[in-house]
Amino acid sequence: MNKHNNGLSDIRNEYLPLAQWLQNILTTTPQLPQAELATNKENVSQFGDEYHVSYYRQLPDFAHALLNNATQEDIIRFGPLVFHLIGCPSCHLAYLEIYDAMHSTIGLEEEHTSTSPLPESIATTSTRVLVFMCQLLINQAAEVLRDARYEYSENDAWARSLLQQAIYLSRHLMQSTQRQRALQDLVKVASFFEDSTTPSAHSYLPVISTGSGSRQGKIRRRADTLGRSDGQTAIYLQSGLSKYEGSITQNQDILELHLEDLGQELRGQFLIISIPFGSLLEPVRWIGGNPRAIRSQVPVGEDGSLATPLGSTDLQLSNPEDHNLLEATFTKLDIRPAD
Amino acid sequence: MPFTAHDLRYNLQENFPKLCAYLQQRAKHWLGTFAYDSDEVDGVVEHIIEQLTRLGLLGGGNHTPETALDHLNNAQFYAFLNRSVKNKAIDRLRRHRLPTSSLSAFEDPRNIEEENDPLNTVTDSIWGSPPFPSPESAALQAASQEALRILIKHCIEELSSAPRQLLAVIQELDEMGIEDLVQELKDTYHTQLADMELSHLSQHKDHAHKKLRHCLQHSSTNLAVLVSLRLTEYGHYSTDIDEISVDIKTLVDERISAAEVLKGLNHLARVGLLDWHGEENIRLTSVQLKHLARFYEEGE
Repeated sequence: MNKHNNGLSDIRNEYLPLAQWLQNILTTTPQLPQAELATNKENVSQFGDEYHVSYYRQLPDFAHALLNNATQEDIIRFGPLVFHLIGCPSCHLAYLEIYDAMHSTIGLEEEHTSTSPLPESIATTSTRVLVFMCQLLINQAAEVLRDARYEYSENDAWARSLLQQAIYLSRHLMQSTQRQRALQDLVKVASFFEDSTTPSAHSYLPVISTGSGSRQGKIRRRADTLGRSDGQTAIYLQSGLSKYEGSITQNQDILELHLEDLGQELRGQFLIISIPFGSLLEPVRWIGGNPRAIRSQVPVGEDGSLATPLGSTDLQLSNPEDHNLLEATFTKLDIRPAD
Repeated sequence: MPFTAHDLRYNLQENFPKLCAYLQQRAKHWLGTFAYDSDEVDGVVEHIIEQLTRLGLLGGGNHTPETALDHLNNAQFYAFLNRSVKNKAIDRLRRHRLPTSSLSAFEDPRNIEEENDPLNTVTDSIWGSPPFPSPESAALQAASQEALRILIKHCIEELSSAPRQLLAVIQELDEMGIEDLVQELKDTYHTQLADMELSHLSQHKDHAHKKLRHCLQHSSTNLAVLVSLRLTEYGHYSTDIDEISVDIKTLVDERISAAEVLKGLNHLARVGLLDWHGEENIRLTSVQLKHLARFYEEGE
């Protein structure tokens, strides 16, 4: 593997000055220099700004080819990547890192592997890193969906897989503020899955009950502000500025939706309930099979209330990790009249 | 049981704690005096998991194509991770060392545990040795391809209708020592170049470079390059603001279909040359137009 210098000197031939001249004419650097990747930021919401997925993914193969006496075909194959690297500081830096790390692997045989025992429990993982990983996966999913939309391609399965992994990892975050930070971009990603032809009447987001409040009795706040006591057996929902409220409860294995104070225009009507992330969680068997179009079993009552089953599951709202999973699934819940 | 690249690709949930533990362990090793600064350790770990996620390895499953990383044996994969951690740790240490050099213990070399200082292990460029110490050198090799040389020659020949520009370029190549090409061009165009003297050399050279860029773009079969060229040709200038607008429909003809135009525009937007999100009318600044005029890449 380490014969990488052989045969290259003759390629760096008399045309090198010509190539240098060409490079001077063509080189353009449209991006501002930004040598750091997105690490050590408060979050990775800006992840997509400097991220050139198709080029980035070629870097290990490119480095590997260079370290293994790249052929003329390799150079031609990676031509667009090379020109991209000249103009993109972020990918350029990643190339340098990956090239060096690949270089360190030369000549190592399998028997050299030796690592001390590694912990298998996620309890040993830093909360900050876990939050970061969830954000990464969600942003990656957003990037995949954005690319698919531009290129008229279908990449939903990959994006869903990334979101699913983020949700499953986030269930280990017991502090609600951390979990909220980890999943803060989920709602944004939900817009990629929305059906713009059938706008919803109301959208609900989860809130967290904190028990008795100090001033006006029971206070409910968004999940990003307060913690939750263990054993909570409901997920509280809120639409807008507390105008509409609701909850998800569990009766044995059945998940039930309860909504209150629905407007006159919805009273007496059946509703279509859409849970954009419903399909991410396999353990829930949704009524009708499609979590984006669950028809209420009964119409909205004259008092504006509705209680209807959504599906069944073996997950238990009373179990903190299961609760977290379900809460993430109900990151967004939309309703609209059935007719 | 150690994890493998395959484990991280297909079973991230179970192996993520092990990956983090390994990276954390290596980060503490390489961070030296900052080994107990959890922010520093987490920062290094985050950098590596971000890289592996971007590469499509972490949780990629069958959705992302395998890369050279998937084909490393376990010893190589751990070496890859360890080296990545080491480089990032050194980067962090360097950042700390710079601003504290006049005040902190770093100023006094006796206070550094030299044998434990990772920076002391860096004897040469941490980016390794040739063949390609930088992508630029790889680009130069790419540009040295015979086919590209023929293309350049063709474009230089296009300058023959402007003999002063042709002479300016020949002179430039001569100064670079590309003798065979210079001689070939001189022989071919000796009548046009006979008795010609050059004044305002830089001006002729600038014009020649502009024509060369245009010729290279025009000769390209690369979709993004073709779309880029058309954007520079079909733009309408607005006199009151620094803006050029181009209707997408004007970019379509028998050579490029509407779908191909969209694909090319998407590519240009992705590499940062355009600020375009699917609008029918593309708006460019004069700076963007300048960059588009210089855009060139190889391949179809």
